[in-house]
Amino acid sequence: MFADLKYRVRVLFNRSTLEQELDDELRFHIEQETEKHIRNGMSAAEARRRALVAFGGMERIKDDVRDVRGLVWLDVARQDLRYALRGIRSAPGFTTAVVLTLGLGIGVNVAMFGIIDRLMVRPTTYLRDPTQVNRVYLNQMTRGKVRQIDGYEYTRYLDLERWTKSFDAFAPFANRTMAVGRGEEARERNVAAVGGRFFELFDARPALGRFILPAEDRTPRGADVAVLSHAFWETSYGSRPDVLGEQIHIGPSTFTIIGVAPKGFSGIVDEESPVAFIPITTHAAIERASNPSSYYTNYNWGWLEILVRRKPGVNVEAASADLTEAYRRSWDAERAMSRGMVAKEIALPRAIAGPVQVMRGPRAGKGAKVLTWISGVAVIVLIITCANVANLLLARALGRRREIAVRLALGASRGRLMAQLLAESLLLALLGGVAGLMLAVWGSALLRTALLPMGELPVAGFGDLRTLGFAGLMALVTGLLTGLAPLAHAGREDLVTSLKTGVREGSHRSSKTRNALLVFQGALSVVLLVCAGLFVRSLQNVRQMRLGFDVEPVLHISGNARGTPLKAVERASLFRRLEAEARAIPGVENAARSLTVPFRDTWSQGLFVPGIDSVRKLGSFTLQGGSPEFFRTAGTRIIRGRGITDEDRVGAERVAVVSEAMASTLWPRQNAIGQCMKMNADTTPCITVVGVAENMRQNSLIEDAQLHYYLPIEQFNPQEASLYVRTRGPAAQQAEAIRRRLQTLMPGSSYLNATPMSEIVGSRQRSWRMGATMFGAFGALALVLAALGLYSVIAYEVTQRRHEMGVRVALGADRTDIMRLVFGQALSFVVAGLVIGGAIALIAARWLGGLLFQVSPRDPFVYGVVGLLLLLVAVVASALPALRAARVNPIIALRFE
Amino acid sequence: MTVDDRLELPQGTLDLLILRVLSLEPHHGWAISERLHQVSRATLQIPQGSLYPALHRLERRGWINASWGASDNNRKAKYYELTKSGRKQLEAETQDWLKLTQAVALVLEM
Repeated sequence: MFADLKYRVRVLFNRSTLEQELDDELRFHIEQETEKHIRNGMSAAEARRRALVAFGGMERIKDDVRDVRGLVWLDVARQDLRYALRGIRSAPGFTTAVVLTLGLGIGVNVAMFGIIDRLMVRPTTYLRDPTQVNRVYLNQMTRGKVRQIDGYEYTRYLDLERWTKSFDAFAPFANRTMAVGRGEEARERNVAAVGGRFFELFDARPALGRFILPAEDRTPRGADVAVLSHAFWETSYGSRPDVLGEQIHIGPSTFTIIGVAPKGFSGIVDEESPVAFIPITTHAAIERASNPSSYYTNYNWGWLEILVRRKPGVNVEAASADLTEAYRRSWDAERAMSRGMVAKEIALPRAIAGPVQVMRGPRAGKGAKVLTWISGVAVIVLIITCANVANLLLARALGRRREIAVRLALGASRGRLMAQLLAESLLLALLGGVAGLMLAVWGSALLRTALLPMGELPVAGFGDLRTLGFAGLMALVTGLLTGLAPLAHAGREDLVTSLKTGVREGSHRSSKTRNALLVFQGALSVVLLVCAGLFVRSLQNVRQMRLGFDVEPVLHISGNARGTPLKAVERASLFRRLEAEARAIPGVENAARSLTVPFRDTWSQGLFVPGIDSVRKLGSFTLQGGSPEFFRTAGTRIIRGRGITDEDRVGAERVAVVSEAMASTLWPRQNAIGQCMKMNADTTPCITVVGVAENMRQNSLIEDAQLHYYLPIEQFNPQEASLYVRTRGPAAQQAEAIRRRLQTLMPGSSYLNATPMSEIVGSRQRSWRMGATMFGAFGALALVLAALGLYSVIAYEVTQRRHEMGVRVALGADRTDIMRLVFGQALSFVVAGLVIGGAIALIAARWLGGLLFQVSPRDPFVYGVVGLLLLLVAVVASALPALRAARVNPIIALRFE
Repeated sequence: MTVDDRLELPQGTLDLLILRVLSLEPHHGWAISERLHQVSRATLQIPQGSLYPALHRLERRGWINASWGASDNNRKAKYYELTKSGRKQLEAETQDWLKLTQAVALVLEM
């Protein structure tokens, strides 16, 4: 056996030497035999002939020796590969079409896999025993439906830990947004508050210092220690080794840095990675500073998640049952505290030891469904891609029918022929896989911004083994699938017929499956593009809709006191100063104080109008406070009367500006100006209406009662102000600079948040934007694939019908006639696709209607544009083959077979 | 002896014959062929070329070793010699062959 191994190794590495040796050896034999015959008296030529005859077939003997040597399959594979490479290089157009098509199909799937892998499949990094770790999910029945509970009380966690026996580790945790840093550097970041035993669930060692100890997490308040995340340590502390012991401001308190987490460690992350880890009891005590023991004694504050590790041998069902029992006991304990609570027999509280990733558990919600649906579409795109490529390969195989027949006739085994065809398909698929991987990496960024605008997902990079593996697998599967069609064909080859038939007779067999596939692709593109078009129009309508205020140039600035208490008077003067300072910043056109901001918060107070017995019955009236420059800053137009002026101060007559809708609701057919309205009680002095402003949307983009009024902020509530800033040019670009400038005025550790209005409104437009992007991307993809498919089919047809074209030209057809023939064929495909696709889109429009905005799902404009687009694509795709057909030289075509 | 009178070699015995020839002294391929031809008094019909796949197979099994040397007329030739395990294999196969032929003879005499 050992000898055999040595032999094989020699064979592997010394091929050429061995071949030479064999040649020498056999030649020696022939020479000796020849000389023997010469000695016996034969002529040299005759002697040599005798020797060769006695020897047997030289090449066959050599082949037999090679067979004995083994590793023949290696030679064969190399040969096949070289042949495949040659074939690919000789048809660059074909190769590009195939590789591009495969790349698109594979790329889309790899990108989707990357996202789904991160969100739903891949176990959390560093988790020890991931199969034993679960996240606790609690639910109860409300009004006949199961309602998942989002955020549990610390007291609940204590109950569950006390009353279960299936777990050897319990770790509460919560990802909170808090201000980190001081003064100008203060920024809202994600901070993880974790239980003392949290780090025990992971197999991680600190990059610096140590982790939080269980002793540092204790009620009523834990230690003021923090562990930094590796990325935060790199970016904000420059990877300094001396950070240990330094103080860091998190929220209103300061913490001592005791360690740095290893690279890539981010705990249990749902969206954004945390920058630091602090003890959960410390965080709770700070949040509830006014009543520090409440968070672990009553059940009022539900905010955290719980991670558990099952004891060895405990399965998920037993663990869930154990948790449910404990939850029921906890429910009773809570009920003892709050009498009005419903009994557990009705609410049926239940607990599940579920998957660690939220996206896979009962709280997965729409996000997971959307992702799964999109990956379904991606798979369909891949299937179409395979069909497309199979079409192309089949077309090529048909073109090489005679070559295959000749080779079979010369003695090639069918097996070898099939292996060689398969090698070609696999090579193309490999190239397609590489192209797909590259497309995926670039394209996944696009998908991410459309689907998960808040999430900070790592990019599916080239270095990611799982993605690479998946891409490879996809390429292999695609190669096998697409290679099957020409293989099946080669297997069924009827030698005689193939050899006899030239291109002349009946070789032009338009494959019905091929055409059907092409029409199906076209139909699918139409459906996707129509959906994309409808969403794009919705998005346009949403964007163009007059909201009652300007969006692009407006910035909203709000303050967070963060433990620096200011008296009301001080706060009022602070915001007056901020308003003045903001106006002085270059690039700022105007600034004004306000109370609320649309889509984020609203303010309502009791409203009374003489002559109307119940104002509340007429609708919900919201109010805004504004300083004199408010209307000019926000861009809200005054239709009648005046806006707010400097004279509207404390002591002066109380005035208000009302929205048009409010004016027509409260005082129909009358002039609203001069009317009287009262706030809070019927007995308060009149507030006189001095102006009517345009309607404003503040709750919903779709429907809004728009019953809104404006009070001078000096007369109403100057201490609760926030700031509107109007910039020259888009506010988003100057937001940070303006924020920094104003932050210098803030006392203590209070800080400012600056949010461009475009971001606030933009988040409301997300669903349409997502629909437009997603359908647009897939629609474009489907269209490109269909175009490629159409091109290849038309090109093939033209080549096959070259003979027929020659006959036509010889009989008197001119160039335009030929071109019309080709275009006509392309058009017939496209029209069929349009009709079928359009029909499907019209039927499916019913389900889409609810998602659109001021656009009918049967909008003719969109259908028209898509139709034109497809026709254009058809013309472009068939242009080249048409030109080639027109230039056919009839003599050559007629002679050529 | 005419060509028709020569006997075809039963399967697998070529290896045995080669090993036997090499058990006396090392030879190159042609010499083995000549020896077989001479010693069997030209009875055996062995296409000369088929020797070589057999030789390589034996080499692969480790029963013979190959090395390049100079022939009688100073040409480069590949010589084969029997290895220790080859000698053992020759023993075993010879025993098997004799047992087989004895058994067949017994049946034919019955």
